[in-house]
Amino acid sequence: MTAYILRRFLHLIPTFLGATFLAFLVIQLAPGDFITRLELDPSYDRSQIENFRRLFGLDQPFTVQYAKWLSGFLKGYLGLSLSYQTDVWSVLKPRILNSMVLVVASVLFIYVVSIPIGIYSALRQYSWGDRFWTTFAFFGLAVPNFFFALLMLYFALWLKDIVGHEVFPIGGMRSLYIDGADFFEAPKWKQWLNILWHAVLPVIVAGTAGTAGLMRVMRTQMLETKMQDYVRTARAKGLAERVVIYKHILRNAVIPIVASIGFLLPELFGGAGFVEIVMAWPGLTPLILDAIFSIDVYIIMGSISISVVLLMIGNLLSDLLLAWVDPRIRYR
Amino acid sequence: MKKPIWILAVLALGALALAQPKVFKVPNAAENPVFGGDFRDWTTSDPKTFNPFVAKETSSTDVIQLMLPTLTDYDPYTGAPEGLLAKSWEVKNNGLTIVFHLREGAKWSDGQPITADDVVFSAKVHSDPDVGSNSIKSFELDGSPIVWTKIDDYTVQADFPKPYAPALIQGWYIVPKHVFEKAYESGKVAEMWDVGTDPAAVVSGGPFMLDQYVQGERVVLKKNPNFWGVDEKGNQLPYLDRYVFTVVADRNAAMAKFLAGELDLYAASDADQVSQIIERIDDGKLDASIFPNADVTTGTNFIFFNWNSDDPWKAQLFRNKKFRQAMAHLMDKDSMIELALGGLGQPQWSPISIPVKQFFTDDVAKFEYDPAKAAELLAEIGFRSKNAQGVLTDAAGRPLEFRLSTNQGNNVREKIAQIFAEDANKIGVNVKYAPIAFNELVRQILNTRDFDAILIGLTGGREPAFGRNVWELDGPLHMWNYGPDFESFEILIDKLMKQGATTLEQSKRREIYVRFQQVVAENLPLAYTVAPAYNPARLNNVGGLFSKDQINSLEGQYPYNYPVTVFKKK
Repeated sequence: MTAYILRRFLHLIPTFLGATFLAFLVIQLAPGDFITRLELDPSYDRSQIENFRRLFGLDQPFTVQYAKWLSGFLKGYLGLSLSYQTDVWSVLKPRILNSMVLVVASVLFIYVVSIPIGIYSALRQYSWGDRFWTTFAFFGLAVPNFFFALLMLYFALWLKDIVGHEVFPIGGMRSLYIDGADFFEAPKWKQWLNILWHAVLPVIVAGTAGTAGLMRVMRTQMLETKMQDYVRTARAKGLAERVVIYKHILRNAVIPIVASIGFLLPELFGGAGFVEIVMAWPGLTPLILDAIFSIDVYIIMGSISISVVLLMIGNLLSDLLLAWVDPRIRYR
Repeated sequence: MKKPIWILAVLALGALALAQPKVFKVPNAAENPVFGGDFRDWTTSDPKTFNPFVAKETSSTDVIQLMLPTLTDYDPYTGAPEGLLAKSWEVKNNGLTIVFHLREGAKWSDGQPITADDVVFSAKVHSDPDVGSNSIKSFELDGSPIVWTKIDDYTVQADFPKPYAPALIQGWYIVPKHVFEKAYESGKVAEMWDVGTDPAAVVSGGPFMLDQYVQGERVVLKKNPNFWGVDEKGNQLPYLDRYVFTVVADRNAAMAKFLAGELDLYAASDADQVSQIIERIDDGKLDASIFPNADVTTGTNFIFFNWNSDDPWKAQLFRNKKFRQAMAHLMDKDSMIELALGGLGQPQWSPISIPVKQFFTDDVAKFEYDPAKAAELLAEIGFRSKNAQGVLTDAAGRPLEFRLSTNQGNNVREKIAQIFAEDANKIGVNVKYAPIAFNELVRQILNTRDFDAILIGLTGGREPAFGRNVWELDGPLHMWNYGPDFESFEILIDKLMKQGATTLEQSKRREIYVRFQQVVAENLPLAYTVAPAYNPARLNNVGGLFSKDQINSLEGQYPYNYPVTVFKKK
């Protein structure tokens, strides 16, 4: 087992080099660079534009740029952001933490909501309840995230009109004031309560598609396991239906879902997606989108390389988890 | 007994310290200002830095301009140059030398005086090519440096290589030398005042100072008690306690916040947003005002052709004035305003933006929408028959067709291009329209030159002399024609631009730029389309803002670029 894990870790090195080099290449292949925007500003002379390129190292061949970035990365330095002129990690860190609030909450939301519903749907297949949740799942998978977020904003506004005060905030992550004083002067627990209150609608938006998907997976798994011989055997032994469902069916049905937990790792650091933009959540997505528009190479690369590393570790964890929950699997 | 005398002495010193404050004119003298309160504004992306030598975009400079002073700026009421940190100036030596007198007693927020040393030091850093400041353009004139020297503690002198009309507008940010000097000397000036800096360490010389910065979320500035500005009644400015920027990346989300009363100002981007705001005001759910179509923005949208095309037939065609006039006759500007701008906007005919009142003229040739006239002009240059596909052909049978691109994702430009292409196709001009990515567009214009026609815009401003890189023959943005063969009107434009930049007398300058607009409108090197409307909205409990007829898109809703006259009514 130890040898297996060690071997997997060695495999990470070429994968990482390949993935980051490819990412760097793709960014370079796109026309233009960080300075291109200034080129259509009539007030700059050509020599000034060239000077900017020189200062930012954009005039060097891209293999040199990549080598410099890589040697920095190996020393634990993600590079200097072109637009912030400060190191990439200090730009990414607060955004990742903000996103994590949404990601953790929506993952919890997804699991807590979809697993019971999946079980219910499988046990009462083709009942009205099952049909309702199936319809819901189609809706959840089909509605675009950004549009749903916009609907939620207007819902919050509408609710405010009806009730007369703010039931849910209109976007953002923190209120300006708590009890009339500045947010940061309030006690910590009130600050956290305020953040969670802001997170309710974004979490619903971010979690809906995931819930819908996982619900369907759980239902299928349950239905498939229900047909297994050992389930029939368990029933024949005269076990109580509750024991059959929870000890025999559920335990086996949930294996692939447990195994996929490892994949959550990169998600935790990957931002919650477009909901952050529409609902003004100061997470990673708006930052990355900004960086892509302005071609701030090192912010993009920093985020990609963190994702790549975590994806690889998450993959490994998933495999190990699978071996742990499923005694049929052995690694050598 | 000794105490009162001591206090008196301090008070006297205090009065002396503010001996020469700047008087800021409020838009409506009848309003009674209220002190205190928070002003809530928004921005689409957060500032990247508070360092003026690093800032490359408005999201950063929008915050920096609240904290760092400039010598002069435009008077928000007249458009003439006006002193800010400079209280007065003398133009000497036929305009080659300008001596600026600084406001004595002006202080940084840390209590240090703002002096000529700060000004000259800032000029030195901005003009250092190894620093990479965006303001470096303010320190060079045709490759020769503009030299700044200190005369005494409150006097600086600028020497220009030649007379320069916009010389009185010195809009670069002045930093405290005592904070920046060490970092500059060790080559680390770019590391100063990044987003991780403790807000208290960011020293201000403007109306506001940094209070909090929460990345991606908000910037909070508080009143700078040391600010060197007063209102006409002698009240210390600003009135506001705090200025809060909330970062909202999505326009619709920002409008939702305004509709909920959580933002004090908003500018509606199209007719749809305008009607939503009006509806909410009419329903009594929002105590606000909106002024649709109060002005147009300075952004421009124009079509130009590639006179340097590899295809000599096309190069010849695009050079033909009658061809370009025919194309202008095919621009249905009413439909463009209706469909692309949602009914709010104005047609544009010449290069100077409509809000720039000092130079703008409406007295130019206008090739109004007239497909019949366009067909006539095309017949005059040889396109008389149509082929089987209904496309006009010349005597040799070559069909009249060209490609048109604009930058993908810009909905307004994409619609304008479509409307033009459709109208052109109707009379047999085969316009093949395809949007492409902005950076690719820039590459085609500046490097590969393999385009036919492009619809794009340039950053507009109030100073026509800053457009010299577009209009002078060797300008890097002389996008339609990089030579070596120039038409006579291009040489005339080049001459007018050079004259305009070196003529100091305002009325003569206007004459020159009026002529310039007429020449461009007649010859259409750039064929202008439509300008989007400026539709400002505000909550009614905000005071110190421009009235409806004072509003202009150059200044926004309040004068002086920072809300120094703004207050919140109780």
